[in-house]
Amino acid sequence: MISTGNDIVSLNAINITRTNDPKFYSKILSTPESKLYNKQVTATIPFENFVWLLWSIKESAYKYLQRLTPDLLFTPVKFEVIQFQTPNAYQPIGFDANQLTGVGFEGLSAFKAVITFGADTLYACSIIYNELICTIVHTNEDFSNTHWGIKFIEDEEYSNQSSAVREFLIENLQKISGFDKVAFSKDQHNIPVIITGNSKTFPVSLSHHEHFIAYSFQYSSI
Amino acid sequence: MTRHEILDELKKVIAPYTTNKEMLAGIDDQTDLIRDLKINSANLVDIIIDAEAKYDIEIDYDVADKMMIVGSCIDVISEKVNEK
Repeated sequence: MISTGNDIVSLNAINITRTNDPKFYSKILSTPESKLYNKQVTATIPFENFVWLLWSIKESAYKYLQRLTPDLLFTPVKFEVIQFQTPNAYQPIGFDANQLTGVGFEGLSAFKAVITFGADTLYACSIIYNELICTIVHTNEDFSNTHWGIKFIEDEEYSNQSSAVREFLIENLQKISGFDKVAFSKDQHNIPVIITGNSKTFPVSLSHHEHFIAYSFQYSSI
Repeated sequence: MTRHEILDELKKVIAPYTTNKEMLAGIDDQTDLIRDLKINSANLVDIIIDAEAKYDIEIDYDVADKMMIVGSCIDVISEKVNEK
C-alpha cells in the first residue's frame, strides 16, 4: 500500500543562534538549497525556520524511503530539495487548537517542495505555525487522500509521547476507516504499521518532538 | 586517545540530549542513539557539532550518517583525531 513519511519540529525546542551558524546549517542544507532562501522566502519565514523546514522535509523523505530500503541511513545533505514554493499570502499564526486533523492541504497555507534522493523524487507539503513545522512527503503531488493529525501534549517524556501518538492515530484512523479492530505494531525493520481486524497491515508514519505529536497515512474509502 | 577514553567523553556529549541516564551509563558499541537512548533525530546535528567542538575535529556530511550507533561514532571520532 502507498505510504507517506512525516515529521514534526517543535520550534520552541530549536536553538535559534546555533541554527543560524553556518557550521550547523551546512550539515543540513547543501549550497544550492541555501540559495532557495531567496527574497520571497525571506519575506515569509526567518532563516532558522527555513533550515528546520528543510530538515523536516528531508526527515519525512527519509522515513518514506526507509520503507523501501530498510538499511537506508539518514544524511540530510544527501536529500536535496530542488523546488520550493511558499504559499500565497502566508500569515504566521499560533497553534491555538489542542489538536488539528485534516485530509490533504486544500485551503491551507502549505509550503510545497520537490525533493530527490538518488533516482527517487518525492513531493512534500508542510504547514508552519508559530510553534511548529509539520511535513508530509508522498510519491506524487496528489495529497487528497493523505490524512494527518497534529496534537499538543503536556508530557514531553519520549516513551509517553510514543504512546500518545499511537493512541491519537488509532482514534482517528478508526473514525475515518470504520475498522473496529486495529493494533499498532512495528515490522521487522522497526517501521510502524497498523494491523487491521482482517490481519492486513496498513503503513503509517508517526513523529513527535517536545510537546507535539503527529501522524500521517494514506486512506481512501473508495 | 583509546576507544574507552573516547566513549567516556562521548557520554558527556550525548548527556544533554537524553533523559535515559541509566541507559547512557551503560552504552556500548551497539547502542543506537535514537532507538536505545531515545534521542530525538532533531538533536543528531547538535551531537555532531558538540563532538566537533569537544575533539577539535570536523565531521563532514560523508560520515555524518555513521553517527547513529555509538561504535560508529567512536570510529569516526578516532579516525578524525588521529588525522590531526
